[in-house]
Amino acid sequence: MELQLGLALPSNPSKGFDLNYFASEPKEIAISNRSFTVASSCTDINDNNKKRSFDQTFETATDSTVPRTLPLLLWNLHPNEEDDPKDLENHSLVTFNNKKDGDNGDGLVGWPPIRSRWWNKRLCHENNRAVGLENGFAFGIRGSNSTYVKVKMEGVPIARKIDVSLHHSFQTLTETLMDMFGQWWLETGQKDLNQYRLAYQDGEGDWLFTEDVSWRTFSRSVRRIKLLKSSR
Amino acid sequence: MNYFPDEVLEHVFDFLTSHRDRNAVSLVCSLWYRVERFSRQRVFIGNCYAISPEKLITRFPGLKSLTLKGKPHFADFNLVPYDWGGYVQPWIEALAKSRIGLEELRLKRMVVSDDSLELLSRSFANFKTLVLVSCEGFTTDGLAAIAANCRFLRELDLQENEIDDHSGHWLSCFPDSCTSLTSLNFACLKGEINLASLERLVARSPNLRSLRLNRAVPLETLQKILMRAPLLVDLGTGSYVHDPDSETYNKLKTTILKCKSIRNLSGFLEVAPRCLPAIFPICLNLTSLNLSYAAGIHGSELIKLIRHCAKLQRLWILDCIGDKGLEVVASTCNELQELRVFPSDPFGVGHDAVTENGLVAISIGCPKLHSLLYFCQQMTNAALITVARNCPNFIRFRLCILDPTRPDPVTMKPLDDGFGAIVQSCKLLRRLSLSGLLTDQVFLYIGMYAEQLEMLSVAFAGDSDKGMLYVLNGCKKLRKLEIRDCPFGNMALLSDVGKYETMRSLWMSSCEVTLWGCKTLAKVMPRLNVEIINEHDQMEICAEDGQRVEKMYLYRTLVGPRKDAPEFVWNL
Repeated sequence: MELQLGLALPSNPSKGFDLNYFASEPKEIAISNRSFTVASSCTDINDNNKKRSFDQTFETATDSTVPRTLPLLLWNLHPNEEDDPKDLENHSLVTFNNKKDGDNGDGLVGWPPIRSRWWNKRLCHENNRAVGLENGFAFGIRGSNSTYVKVKMEGVPIARKIDVSLHHSFQTLTETLMDMFGQWWLETGQKDLNQYRLAYQDGEGDWLFTEDVSWRTFSRSVRRIKLLKSSR
Repeated sequence: MNYFPDEVLEHVFDFLTSHRDRNAVSLVCSLWYRVERFSRQRVFIGNCYAISPEKLITRFPGLKSLTLKGKPHFADFNLVPYDWGGYVQPWIEALAKSRIGLEELRLKRMVVSDDSLELLSRSFANFKTLVLVSCEGFTTDGLAAIAANCRFLRELDLQENEIDDHSGHWLSCFPDSCTSLTSLNFACLKGEINLASLERLVARSPNLRSLRLNRAVPLETLQKILMRAPLLVDLGTGSYVHDPDSETYNKLKTTILKCKSIRNLSGFLEVAPRCLPAIFPICLNLTSLNLSYAAGIHGSELIKLIRHCAKLQRLWILDCIGDKGLEVVASTCNELQELRVFPSDPFGVGHDAVTENGLVAISIGCPKLHSLLYFCQQMTNAALITVARNCPNFIRFRLCILDPTRPDPVTMKPLDDGFGAIVQSCKLLRRLSLSGLLTDQVFLYIGMYAEQLEMLSVAFAGDSDKGMLYVLNGCKKLRKLEIRDCPFGNMALLSDVGKYETMRSLWMSSCEVTLWGCKTLAKVMPRLNVEIINEHDQMEICAEDGQRVEKMYLYRTLVGPRKDAPEFVWNL
């Protein structure tokens, strides 16, 4: 079935629309009527056909029959990253693909065209979707459907993730964390829970001890968690 | 007309409310120019670098209300580096030194410092209205200055700003004598709020009609506030979480019944869906509903809520409402004029997301629709053609297909014809954003049909320079053009250089334009600022002219290159 558009493109558009029309029309405000002929002093102009196609830019294979979203967006997922995520969260700009990070250009800057601050502000208690989970972790902020944050225990090389929204108190959180790192303890002989203090990084990038704050404050602002050996 | 004394002309001009009308009037003759400029109280400056504060003050000594915009639109999507510019400080300094009795200041995408706010608060005795949208650079200390020093403050409206929250007591800085507030919006603040101060402030503000709370304000406080302000017209809840079996919640239910004036509802930054029924009684009166931050409400609960909102004219919602939910909107909200559907999961493969079917349903049920922002997974030409036919009144049509070059999934063709139908049918279209797989053809349609188009946003579209040329040649009323990742180069950029003086600005990033092209343009057009944003150190000043320019932003200006440009911004 043909789509009858009625757009009827005339071969000689009567609106005076002419691709070769280079001169500017006289305007109310005085603008010098310049026509500018493009002098091809630069070979680049003749390379107009060297379009940078979308595929080339992002070096992904095109498969137009499959909805493509995730494959376009390549993140640096380094679980052991000790770096300062402040680069990502500084100026409160969650730059999904911040070239300044030394990111090798993968990923789509500024797409979709939505304010990252808007995105960043939305706290969601949904945590069922694995997809959202991945994204939440990758950004170091909460994705739409995940409140997973990275947890690092001092002395343990491998970080873990925990979903803060599943908990309602520090007690259950701590218990869960201890279980998570339990395997490591078995291997190294560490046992004493009381040896560790819970610290977290809030939305502003500051590190705080959980002893000083209410659960509510913590759960709403936590971005990362660290278990530090207590000297007490 | 020469026989009329100036006062009569002035009186006539008073009836002209739009900036454009007054601008037009001032061009008629020097007499009208003179009368107009002395009687002008409201000025809108769409690009703060197009003119200087001194010139503004000289021309309009009677200025009372100023609106300024700073960074280009794509700054919203992190395409503009942090220190690019857009500082309000020089404006406030100049205005403070002058005899201008500023009463209202509205800023968008500008950098505002605490010092600026402090100076503002101390310099204008009659200052009444401060509206900051998408601004940054200030803290709650600046807000404290405004609260403390602006004795007749009526409106403090903070939308989507990046504010460093020192969790101070800025709210407590409103003196007890301050009773003039009509509008207070601090929803974007991240930190805690002194709840007692807030309650007292509301209690002594009998004219308060608009109040938007931040996440730190719990439901208990909301209930107390509503008791004090039953005449509110615009309400933004903070944290809307409580046990629905509690006494507090029951109190809220009763209190809300008294709030018969509420027409705009927003917030729900945290929400317990089981508490939503409390607002059902006021839903029937709502004309505007913004649930775009309410990530905690599932699709089915959204639908239940929407069913109560028959009079909605504006709806901002998340795509978890789904196509089915949009069908409910279509059948319930027949008065709908503006719809925004935001992605709840912009980077995922959204299962609950909306498709072309939701939009088509809306177009059938909501014939008055004139403004659309729609993030979706896919779109078809057939759907766009149907929408164009059903809704010929679009003024703003912004479609964002999350996969930016996705074709029509049914026909696998580009979406040229679909958008073509939109521009052909919607003769009043002023703003258009494209997405999906698009060739030069769509630009031909736009150039031919979009006669009223003022702003066009393009990404990953087109095949050649012809695309951009069609638009530049065809859209006579074009004011803002922003392009990213399109194969448009020097030929398109330089074909009609005079065009740019009829526009506010042009943004091109990741296109084929080279340094030579930009330099040439800058040389030929001295009244344009052609700025290159160069974030990588690779491009030196003696860089090769043949090198592609990553980001170019050009705009017309009467005051030459700006002096506050950072290192990475070159004015050619």
